[in-house]
Amino acid sequence: MTLLPFVLVTSVGAAIALLVRRNEWLAMASSMVCLVAAVVTALMIRPGEILMVGGSGVATTEYLRLFLVLGAVAGLLLVVVGEAVGSRRDAPAVTLGVLATSALALSLPDPRLAVLAATAGGGFGALVTLVSTGGRGASTVGIRVLRATVVAGTMAIAATAWIGRDLTDLAAQPVVFGLAYLAFAIAVAIRFGAIPAHAWAARLTDTVPESTLPLVTAWAPAAFAIVALAWADASIAPLGADIDLGSVRVVVLAIATASIVLASVAAFIQDDIEHVVGYAIIGDAGVVLLAVAALDPEAWAPARTWILVFVMARSAFAAWAAATRTTFSTGRVADLRGWAIRSPSLAVILVLVIVASIGLPGLAAFDARGSIVHLAIDGPLGVLVLLGTLSPLAYYGRLLVVGATRPAEGRGSAVAWRPVVSPLDVTDVRRWLRRTWSDNLTPTATAGAALLAILALAVSSGAFGASRAAAGLPPTLEVSTESFAPGVPEVPVGSDAPSAPPVDGEPSASPVEGGPSASPVEGEPSASPVEGEPSASPAP
Amino acid sequence: MNPILALVAIAVIGGAVVVVAARDARTVSVALALTLVASPLLADPLAPPLGLAARLVGAILATYLLWMVVRQNRTVGMLPSPTSGSRIGWPAEILVAAAAAVVGFAAHGLGAAAGGPPLASAAGFAVATLAVVPVATGRDVIRVGTGLVLLLDAALLVRCALGGTPGDLEQLLAAGMLVVVAGAAAALAANARADGAGGFAFSDPTTARGRREPDAHPLDPG
Repeated sequence: MTLLPFVLVTSVGAAIALLVRRNEWLAMASSMVCLVAAVVTALMIRPGEILMVGGSGVATTEYLRLFLVLGAVAGLLLVVVGEAVGSRRDAPAVTLGVLATSALALSLPDPRLAVLAATAGGGFGALVTLVSTGGRGASTVGIRVLRATVVAGTMAIAATAWIGRDLTDLAAQPVVFGLAYLAFAIAVAIRFGAIPAHAWAARLTDTVPESTLPLVTAWAPAAFAIVALAWADASIAPLGADIDLGSVRVVVLAIATASIVLASVAAFIQDDIEHVVGYAIIGDAGVVLLAVAALDPEAWAPARTWILVFVMARSAFAAWAAATRTTFSTGRVADLRGWAIRSPSLAVILVLVIVASIGLPGLAAFDARGSIVHLAIDGPLGVLVLLGTLSPLAYYGRLLVVGATRPAEGRGSAVAWRPVVSPLDVTDVRRWLRRTWSDNLTPTATAGAALLAILALAVSSGAFGASRAAAGLPPTLEVSTESFAPGVPEVPVGSDAPSAPPVDGEPSASPVEGGPSASPVEGEPSASPVEGEPSASPAP
Repeated sequence: MNPILALVAIAVIGGAVVVVAARDARTVSVALALTLVASPLLADPLAPPLGLAARLVGAILATYLLWMVVRQNRTVGMLPSPTSGSRIGWPAEILVAAAAAVVGFAAHGLGAAAGGPPLASAAGFAVATLAVVPVATGRDVIRVGTGLVLLLDAALLVRCALGGTPGDLEQLLAAGMLVVVAGAAAALAANARADGAGGFAFSDPTTARGRREPDAHPLDPG
């Protein structure tokens, strides 16, 4: 089971980093090693594997692999950026914890189990608020983060438990299905800090550095939202023809729409760029809530595509904000006049972030968002909401206008962006390394933001097989053997019957050695539509 | 009704009452241990040994993390730090829990056949009801944190009442989740306690609070 090394590396790494947190250097070193190992082990995950534990188990998918690879890379880059600009001691441990719990949440086919892992991920997130001095206020913010996580987790546990059993002799009104759905949808809204449940997220934005914000408000809730989508598609959407869920859908749609529009308004009027980042995350999360409200299997693929784009683009935006703050020693928008003129590299990064998050027609992100809105809301209102999803252009435009304005007197000089490397001092390499690091904090943060922006743009354009992975089935413990069952007439080799090439990562369908061939015979239709996905399980 | 299960349910609810009513943080953590240890036993049939062991170890670890924060050690300056406790007193909390337990028992299954014992439903409703007030109105980290752990435990009890005894993997994940949440609450509580003389409170009562002028648009005194 290739998922186990990843889970081991990240969970043990998080535990070690938290246990040795008093020794900052040791905690950072062990975390960095584990994050690099997380990237490697995530790349080694093979889709289509199943591990049974008791009556349950975990299964790997192509989407899980992509999510974890991107999460590990983004987490590593955010930690590097955070170290360059000043971050929280526990941020690397929190990153590892969120990755470990996300791996479990996305690999567990049973949503009753997956919500437990996703809730634990939120618990890790509260630790980013810990500070060495003046901890009372930070603890107050942290306990509010924990409260949002636990309340959402409790609602999700109750909702999945209510439906995740035999309901053939249901005595209650079927409308209670709608209540279960509403509970889980509101739980997702709470985890993202969607409006009106955004108070904790706003306080968090006041308290923690930009580079840690996406961990708590984007990556950890994203795993929770993916579980919610799988659960809603499997348990609620099939009931749509029999039960009127219109009224509860309206509530979810209202929260989603309010988040999209009002978060953009809030981001536009904020004076600090970290608040702009915070509300930008909430606004994009509104689109995820729209997908939850769609209750249409057609929304499955675009929703999961959008989630990948959302987490990557917002990570890049947060890294840009951190690099900008360090470069100009201020985060106040009014004091950043001329930032784009003085630092063209940061301007290029922001443009990449804008293209990645807004998208262009034809890019995967743009199409996914359009599909989600279309499936969630029909008619003229849908057009208005679609226009609302473009509202981030307002605050992006404000940042660009401020950046293009003539700098204040005495602040017009260009910012040095090239790395500064002094001659190697072989007599004291440690000191040379320390000096080189401290001389290059700004270029390091800028480079980290640039890498994240490029990755975000790649995911937004559908690279790395994002759209195909997102269209795959959720994890399942069922392995198809129907195509290879005895008695199925074999299509003659070289016939004109429709054929599909063998699929990488497909779970072996051969039950016994010497039995029917596991690899699809030429000319035989494959049971799995997607690379690496377990096949022949019911549609999500 | 199985009398042993009834005793376990009473232990779960009684522990939860003490958690929300007591002012001594050490008493709170011991009572929380009782509730968390007894909760996985409230199942019929009993959970498999491996899963049960995971829950019990998780319960002890979760409460030990809180215990480390709330214990006193005058030699290192860790003075008693009380939590706010119940505002309505433990008798009223017992009545609230009893009423919620009756509702949970009567509503067992929530409209469909249930796979677990009705006593788990009763205990789940009672614990959830008791947890609401500390979670919603708590003014110190320990009170809110223990309330959150109780809330999760209540959800797990209701899940057991509805779907039957969880399997090994689910018990393991539930134990991990409780440890993470309790550990996070403990770390936040330690952080608050290390900052001034206010103990676990959200705000230091020894610090005078002044009027804070708006940051975004400062008023011009002239």
